[in-house]
Amino acid sequence: MAETWNPKIVGFLCNWCCYAGADMAGTSRMKYPPNIRIIRVMCSSRINAEMVIKAFQMGADAVFIGGCHPGDCHYVDGNYRTQKRIAVLRRLLEHLGIDPRRLRLEWVSAAEGEKFAQTMDEFAKEVAELGPSPLAALQREVL
Amino acid sequence: MEQELKAHLKKLMASGDVAGIIALKSERGMAKPYLFADASELECLCLTPKYPMASVARLLLDEDGAARFAIVCRGCDERALRELAKRHQVDLDRLVIVGIPCDEEMARECACPEPFPSVVAVGTKLEQWEAEDIGAAYRAMELDEKLAFWKHQLEKCNKCYGCRNACPMCFCKDCELENALWVKHGRLPPEFPIYHMIRAFHLAGKCIACGECQRACPSDIPLMVLNTLLREDMEELFGYVSGTGADAENPLYTKEEMQ
Ligand code: SF4
Ligand code: SF4
Ligand code: FES
Repeated sequence: MAETWNPKIVGFLCNWCCYAGADMAGTSRMKYPPNIRIIRVMCSSRINAEMVIKAFQMGADAVFIGGCHPGDCHYVDGNYRTQKRIAVLRRLLEHLGIDPRRLRLEWVSAAEGEKFAQTMDEFAKEVAELGPSPLAALQREVL
Repeated sequence: MEQELKAHLKKLMASGDVAGIIALKSERGMAKPYLFADASELECLCLTPKYPMASVARLLLDEDGAARFAIVCRGCDERALRELAKRHQVDLDRLVIVGIPCDEEMARECACPEPFPSVVAVGTKLEQWEAEDIGAAYRAMELDEKLAFWKHQLEKCNKCYGCRNACPMCFCKDCELENALWVKHGRLPPEFPIYHMIRAFHLAGKCIACGECQRACPSDIPLMVLNTLLREDMEELFGYVSGTGADAENPLYTKEEMQ
């Protein structure tokens, strides 16, 4: 059965900023591609390497992490920890042969519905160009 | 060097400064980590094979509340102790480090970044040492080549946990490698690549490049490649080199914004 491939993006959004921003995009009826599956977390720093890798292993083509702007994290310094962690994780993905562009971190405030919609638009296009994740393909082999 | 070291340790013991000396003891042609408490035993002290001595110190200090010990340390052992101290796993005030250098053959085998401790008590350290750049060839590969390489390598893993068990920097009581949420129980080889990625990532900014994991691996997986690449990344991204002075902290654990 021929299926058209659509990028699957797993999005971890912090409750206080990015999730509220996504909510705003929704309530304002802004259009953005439906590729993202959103998981709400209390702070972007809740996301550890295991969660990101597992998302890829379970078939995500890309992972998006959204947090508060610098200085705005509800827990003061959570987003700084996220920023450093993700920088290292992107390097590790690259060493393993996974394009680091598949893991993206953005700061989106509660008022930035438009930025959220735009970012999703851009990211979905970028991932579509990258094609299916090789890890997702391996996963299908195993199943 | 061995005789000189024994003489040095005898003096140290006689001074009464330390309750014992942590080093390797040879017994029936094999070596084991041992706490020497009596000068007469020092005859059986040996220096090879290389052994992660920092782990021994960590476990021993945990047992005994106040005593001070001397510990025979190579460059990697000292780096491990420093990093363990930053994570509050050893109290350096309770240790007297007796530094010994590695010879060229050992240093080469480990591609050691610094095959000698900060202070060398006996022996002479290698002059003009430059470690082989293990990472270079891998950085140059294309993404699909890298993926194929690791897919092939990590498929050999039989999930013996040897790499973790040998690692002087792995001290967590609950290990995420045993968490079925990430690593399915009863599956061989472990799913690609989460098992090895968790280990590599958790060691970022902690790995002191002792090579114990790779030596422990029965499947000859070149684990040091990932560790070396991440050590380079930590330096490039944050200017942090794990195992260096107590004032530098692993940036992944600090609350400061990335520069
Ligand atoms: S990861 Fe390997 S090289 Fe690094 S500290 Fe642990 S055992 Fe040593
Ligand atoms: S030592 Fe080698 S075989 Fe054993 S778990 Fe580690 S990588 Fe796998
Ligand atoms: S609460 Fe939003 S990043 Fe911490």
